[in-house]
Amino acid sequence: MAIVIWLIVGLALWHLTVFVPDHFWGGIVGALLGAVGGALVSGAIVQVILGRGLNDVDMLTFLAAIPGFLAGAYLIYWIGERNEDPEFQLQD
Amino acid sequence: MGGRRRNIFVLLFVLGLLIVSAIIVVKKPAELGLDLQGGIELTLQARPTPQLPEVTNEAMERSVDIIRSGCNKLGVSEIEVSRLGPDQISVGIPGATDVGGATDCATTPARLYFYDWQNNLVGPAKELGTDLGSQDPDTVQKQVRQKWIAAGRLPTEGQNRTFIAEGAEPSMWDAVNLATGQERVEPCPDCSSSDRYYLFEDKEPHDLIAGPVADRQDLYFDAQGNPLPRQGIVKKVPQGTVVVSELPTDPATGRTINDPEQAAYFVLEDNAELTGSDIKDPQQQTDPLTNQPNVTFDFTDKGRQAFQTITRRIAQEGQARALGQVDPQTASALSGNFAIVLDNAVVSRPIINFQENADGIDGRTGAQISGGFDIGGAQELAEFLQRGALPVELALTSQSQISASLGQEALDQGVRALVVGLLLVCLFLIVFYRFLGVVSALALIAYAIIFLALIKVIPITLTLPGIAGLVLTIGVAADSNIVIFERVKEELRAGRSLVSAISLGYRRGISTIIDANVVILLTAFILFVLSTSGVKGFAFTLGVGTLVSLLTAVVFTQSLLGTMINTKILRRGMGISGEQHEANEADKKARWHFDFMGASRTFFVMSAVILLIGGGALATKGLNFGIDFESGTRIEVSLEQDISVEELRAAVADEGLADAKIQAVDNPALGGNSFQIQSETLDPSQIATVEESLDENIGISTDGFNSTSVGPTFGQSVARSAGLAMFFSLLLITGYIALRFGGRFTAPVLIGILHDILIALGIYALLGFEVSSATVAAFLTILGYSLYDTIIVFDRIRENEPKMPRATYSQVVNRSMNEVLTRSLATTVSTLVGVVALLIFGGETLTAFAIALLVGISSGTYSSLFIASPVLALWKEREPAFRRRRRQQMESQGYIPAFAEELEVAKVDGEEGGDAGSGPEPAATGPKRRV
Repeated sequence: MAIVIWLIVGLALWHLTVFVPDHFWGGIVGALLGAVGGALVSGAIVQVILGRGLNDVDMLTFLAAIPGFLAGAYLIYWIGERNEDPEFQLQD
Repeated sequence: MGGRRRNIFVLLFVLGLLIVSAIIVVKKPAELGLDLQGGIELTLQARPTPQLPEVTNEAMERSVDIIRSGCNKLGVSEIEVSRLGPDQISVGIPGATDVGGATDCATTPARLYFYDWQNNLVGPAKELGTDLGSQDPDTVQKQVRQKWIAAGRLPTEGQNRTFIAEGAEPSMWDAVNLATGQERVEPCPDCSSSDRYYLFEDKEPHDLIAGPVADRQDLYFDAQGNPLPRQGIVKKVPQGTVVVSELPTDPATGRTINDPEQAAYFVLEDNAELTGSDIKDPQQQTDPLTNQPNVTFDFTDKGRQAFQTITRRIAQEGQARALGQVDPQTASALSGNFAIVLDNAVVSRPIINFQENADGIDGRTGAQISGGFDIGGAQELAEFLQRGALPVELALTSQSQISASLGQEALDQGVRALVVGLLLVCLFLIVFYRFLGVVSALALIAYAIIFLALIKVIPITLTLPGIAGLVLTIGVAADSNIVIFERVKEELRAGRSLVSAISLGYRRGISTIIDANVVILLTAFILFVLSTSGVKGFAFTLGVGTLVSLLTAVVFTQSLLGTMINTKILRRGMGISGEQHEANEADKKARWHFDFMGASRTFFVMSAVILLIGGGALATKGLNFGIDFESGTRIEVSLEQDISVEELRAAVADEGLADAKIQAVDNPALGGNSFQIQSETLDPSQIATVEESLDENIGISTDGFNSTSVGPTFGQSVARSAGLAMFFSLLLITGYIALRFGGRFTAPVLIGILHDILIALGIYALLGFEVSSATVAAFLTILGYSLYDTIIVFDRIRENEPKMPRATYSQVVNRSMNEVLTRSLATTVSTLVGVVALLIFGGETLTAFAIALLVGISSGTYSSLFIASPVLALWKEREPAFRRRRRQQMESQGYIPAFAEELEVAKVDGEEGGDAGSGPEPAATGPKRRV
C-alpha cells in the first residue's frame, strides 16, 4: 500500500511540473520518471528509518514522498538544462 | 458483385442469422454458472510434494482429470473442474449443497503405499516385532510400557496392551521424536515422502497442531488456509523415514475401531514396495468369511510381479524364523506382515503365512483391504483408489455455496439489467443520432440476439460477471456506430453528398474501430488466460462480444444504410442528427472549438488535486478489502422466525460465532428475516454445524442458506494473477501501440492508464467501497477501455498530423480533440447508461462490478481527453521539427494561436485548414495564446 501511496503522490505532484519551463531531461515524461522515482525513494527511506512494513501506512507515509518528488524532479531538470541544445530551446 | 447486390446479400445473411439465432435463443437453454443456478465452488491451490518438488503443468492436468473423474464417481454429476493459472484449480459443483463432501472429493490425496512391515520397522517396534533387534526384549517392553503410561495411556485400556507388545509409540509426538533421530536417506527413489515437518504444542502432551507437510511454511496454516500462531515446536522427519498411525481392531468383531484417541504410531523406513499406481480395479465387496464390507483390487502386471516377489521374501523370512516344522498357530505368529498404508495411516496389515504361501502370493487374484469399514466407507475408499493418487497436494483456498433461489434471483437481476441497459443505450442513440440512431439501435438489437445465440451454441457458461461483460460490450458495439456516424456527420458538414459521406465515414472509421477493438480483445485475452474463474466468464463474453459487434455495428449498418441510400428519408437528409446535408457556412463549423491545450494546466491541477485526495484517503483510511482478500467466512441466512441480531448471536455462540460480525440485511432473493454473519474462516464441517443448529433452533427458510469461505492464499493469488494480467496486458498493448502509432505515443498511454488505476483506487479508499476479486477484474477491463478511448483520440491525431505541415503539435492535438470530443462524450454516455442499469438492476454481486466500471470509465474518459493527449502534445513539442514550427509562428505572428486555422499563412493558402472534408473550418477568432 505504501508503494501505491508514494506513486500517487509522485504522479500527483508531477502534474505541477507543467508550471515550470520545460527544461527537463526527456521533457514531461522525464519529469514523471524523476518525480515518481524520487517519491518512491524518499518514501522508502522514511519507511525504513521508522522500521515500518509496506502495509503500515499513515499520513507520514504520504508526506514522506514529497521531498523525494522535489529532489527527483529537480535532478531531471538540472540534467536537462545542462544538456539542452540552445538552438532548440522551448519558448516558455 | 455490385455495391447494391453486396448490401442485399449482407442484409439477407444477417437476417438469416437473426432468425436462426432467435430460434436458438428461444429453444436452447443457456448453460448457467454456479452463481446463477446455485451450487458449490471451491478454489484449490497445488503445493509440491516430496516426489514433485515443483508443481508442473503435467501434474496440474492430471490433478484436474483425477478430481473430475473422482468427484463424478462419487455421485457428483456435471462437475466443472478447470485450471486457474499455474497452480490453482477451480471446482464447481452445480446443485451441490454438501460443502464437506465436495471438499473431500476434491482434496483427499488417496496416496496408497505397500510396505514390508517387519523389515522396515524402526525403534522399539523393530526390537519387539522382529528378530532384527539387538536389545533385550523385556527391557524394551518395560521402556515402551513406561512411555505409554507417561503419555497418559494406560496399558489396560482398550487395545493398548497389543500395541505395547508390538512396540508402538503412544503419541505422534513420541513417534516423530523417534523418527527425527533417523538418518536422512539420499537418494530415495522408493520413498513415499521427503523431509516432512510437524508442529506440536509447546506444553505437554505436545498435541499435534499441524503436519505432516513438505514445506515448513505450510505448518502455520490450517486446512482452510487460516494463519496459525507461529508458536509451538517444529520437528522434521528426514527423508527415508515415515511415521504412520494405526487404529486398533476389535478382537471380537475384527473391525477397526474408528477412534483417533486410541491410535498407535509406528516409525518405518520409508521403503515402499508398491504404490497406488500398481493396482487396478479397486471395488467395494463383502468379505465372504466375515460378511464385512471390504475393498478388493487387482494388480497391474508390474504390480503383480512386485507383489509376488515381496510376499515371497516375507514368506521366506517367516520360514527362516520357524527353524523347521511348526504348527499353524506358531507359523502364523512367526509370519511377517505386509502393510497397506493410505495417507500415512495403516489401513490393513495382512499376514503372509509362509505355510500357506511359501512361494509368496500370486497377485493374479488381487488383494483386499478389510476391517473396520461400513459399506459407505468401503465404497468411498474404493472410489478414491479408483481415481488414483493426486500428484500434488491440494489446499482449499476458497469455497462458496450459493442456494438455487439466490442463483435464480441473480439471473433475473442480470437479465433485467441487460435488457434495461440495451433499451437505454438504444434510446440514447435514437435521441442523439435520430435516423442513424434507429439504424444503430437495430444493429444493437441484432447484436444482442446473435450474441445470446452464440452463448448458447458454443456454449459459454453464463455467469454474473459474464452478464456484466455483455452490458459493457453493448457500449463497445454502440461506440463503433458512434465513431462512424460522427465521421459521416463531419463529411456532411464538409459538404459531401450523403452517399459519399456514408461511404467515407465507414472507410475512415473502420481503421480506428479495428485499432480500438484489437486493444479490447488483447485485454480480454490476457484476462481470460490469467484470471480467476468468475473473471474468465467476463473476459470471454467481452472478447466474443467485441467480435460480434464488428459484424453488426459495421457490416450490418453499412449495408442497411447502403440499401436505403435512395430512400426519401436519406435523400432529403432528414433525421441525420438534424444535420441538413446541404452544407452552409454554419454547418461547416465544428460544434466544438475548445482550447484543450490552453486549459491543460487547469486539468493537470485538477488531476493533481484528485490524486492527492485519493492518496490521502489511501494513507489514512486504506482500502476496504472484502473477504476475497482478507479471508474469512460469510454466511447469509434467511430465518423462519423474526429474531433480533442479539438473539441470533446467542443462537450461534456455541458454534464459535459469538464474536462474529452479524447484521440484518435486506435480501429479497434469500427471503425475509435475512442476516449476514461474517467470521474467521470456518471449515466445511463448522459451516454445516452452524446450518444444522440454526435450522433446528430457529428454522431456515427453503434455500435460505449461503456461505462463502476464503483462505488468505486466495487473496494473494487473486492479487498475483491481477498483477500478471496487468503486466502482460500493458506489455502487449504497449507493443501494439508502438507498432501502430510509434514509440512516442506509448508513454502518454501508460501515463493515462496509471491515472485511471490510481484515481479509481483513491475513489475506492475515499468512499469505502469494498474491493473484491470482481473489482480487480473490472479494473483490468477499465485498463482496456481507457486505452480504447485514448486510441480513438490518438488515431485522429495521427491522421491530422501530416495534414497540418505548419502546425505545432498542440494545434494538431487541439483540432483532433475537438473533432472527436462529441464521439468521446457520446460513447461515454452510451457505456455509462448500460453500467448505470447494471448498478440499479444488477443486484448485489453486479453492484461491485458496476461501481468499479463506473469509476473506471469516468476516469478513463477524463484521462484520455485531459491527460494523455496533452502529455503527448507537450512531449512531441520538444521534437526539433515542432520546435522549428513554433519559432516560425512566433516570428511571423508574434504569438502562437491555439488553432492552426488562425495562422495568417493558413488563411492565405488554405493549407492549414487541412482536408476540407474531414475537419472543422477555421474559427473566426481564437485566443491569442501561446500553446
